[in-house]
Amino acid sequence: MGVRLLVLTVLSVALMVVDARFSLLKPVRSQMSLVLMQTYWITDLPQRLYQGVASQFGSRTELVAENEKLKTENLLLQGRMQKLAALTEQNVRLRELLNSSALVNEKVEVAELIGMDPNPFTHRIIINKGERDGVVLGQPVLDARGLMGQVVELMPYTSRVLLLTDTTHSIPVQVNRNGLRAIASGTGNPERLELRHVADTADIKEGDLLVSSGLGQRFPAGYPVATVKEVIHDSGQPFAIVRAVPTAALNRSRYLLLVFSDNRTPEERANDAAQAQEAEDKQNGTAPVIPATVPKPAFVGPPAPAAVPATAAPVATPAKPATHSARPAKPAAAATPAARPATTAPATTRQREE
Amino acid sequence: MASTHSRNGWVVWLTFAIGLLLSVSPLPQFMEILRPLWLALLLAFWSLNLPHKVGMVTAMCLGLAEDVLYGTLLGQNALILTLITFLVLSLQQRLRMFPMWQQCLVILVIFGLAQLVQLWLSALTGNRQPTLALVLPALVSALLWPWVSFGLRGLRRRYKIN
Repeated sequence: MGVRLLVLTVLSVALMVVDARFSLLKPVRSQMSLVLMQTYWITDLPQRLYQGVASQFGSRTELVAENEKLKTENLLLQGRMQKLAALTEQNVRLRELLNSSALVNEKVEVAELIGMDPNPFTHRIIINKGERDGVVLGQPVLDARGLMGQVVELMPYTSRVLLLTDTTHSIPVQVNRNGLRAIASGTGNPERLELRHVADTADIKEGDLLVSSGLGQRFPAGYPVATVKEVIHDSGQPFAIVRAVPTAALNRSRYLLLVFSDNRTPEERANDAAQAQEAEDKQNGTAPVIPATVPKPAFVGPPAPAAVPATAAPVATPAKPATHSARPAKPAAAATPAARPATTAPATTRQREE
Repeated sequence: MASTHSRNGWVVWLTFAIGLLLSVSPLPQFMEILRPLWLALLLAFWSLNLPHKVGMVTAMCLGLAEDVLYGTLLGQNALILTLITFLVLSLQQRLRMFPMWQQCLVILVIFGLAQLVQLWLSALTGNRQPTLALVLPALVSALLWPWVSFGLRGLRRRYKIN
């Protein structure tokens, strides 16, 4: 019996080391999870059933009231959206003036929570979207009110999400009011984040909204993370103690959003944005004389329909080239040779002068 | 003889499946910290009563399943459960003669030790729990032991598992 214990102990220690250091056991784990993750689904079943029954037997007045509420909420959101369109445009214009890359619209997908991690000392949740749904490691997860966390483990049809408030999690944030940067670390309390190493003299006060700064290259910039709850200036401490409450309902949200941010480089994004802008200008009739999308002669690929009308008849058919060149995928490749001569030409002439 | 050995073995596995479900079932926030070690309880009972059938290899397999469920390193819970089963098996002859309260005490000590090893392992992997509160599940499990024991004994009589 002792020998068997020894063998099994050595085996499990070896497994742990291999799992921690190498990715050798990832397929094994993923295959096992295919079956085992059903237990989360089964334990979630009562909740699901309850919801189904509740929606079956909801009274008419309740439904009408809910409908009313949703309608007003929708109206409010639509109103805000109108303003947003104008603001987005303004933002793009201002960014163009600054020559910086445009804000990108990230794609989102709805996921549903199917389980909480049973360990009370970690804040992790299980969601019903996995590798087969295109989820990637490190992907940001939102709910309706703010950032929730990131994907830390992928399984075929489920994934594990580490929440912002886990003690091992930190996120780079920015005060929305003045752009002050800081790092918000989880505390193990679902209603509490702490800002680390904030100078005593920093301009941060109660009620400030903290948004993600995007500096960690993991979370997209500009999503709300938390609101500052209290700022304590203790002269005995080297830094101010800043406590914040996450805006997302970390322990209540059932429906979450997975953010698919694009992996284009900033240059590509800038090119795409410039092209979109140009197409828009063309549509408005203020067409510039020389379009930026000069087709490369050797390039006879997919962008041909977009490029040909742009050179042949820039004013005649404004709608079609606009939609084509606004598409981000391929025209970027055609745009780069056009952009390059402008920047590289002076350099080459200078070299020649030397 | 061989046929009697494998009689109604599926009931044992069914209890393990239920144990797995219970070990991930959602609980209120304040009770999360008290979640009993269901799999360990089941393993302790079956290895005490059917030592020829449920042993350390079973414990290891269930531990691996638990690792996948909890997202811990593969082998962490497997080691813990193997250890618990080993301790129960090595005390098996005496433990079966003990009155219930004494069994509870032994279970408390064994599970407490296992939870301390758990703490040690999670410290090694970098997410150490800040408190010793993780010994609480051992206490809760020890308090649940009589009920689990009576229930499973009834089940065993009913299905004549041996």
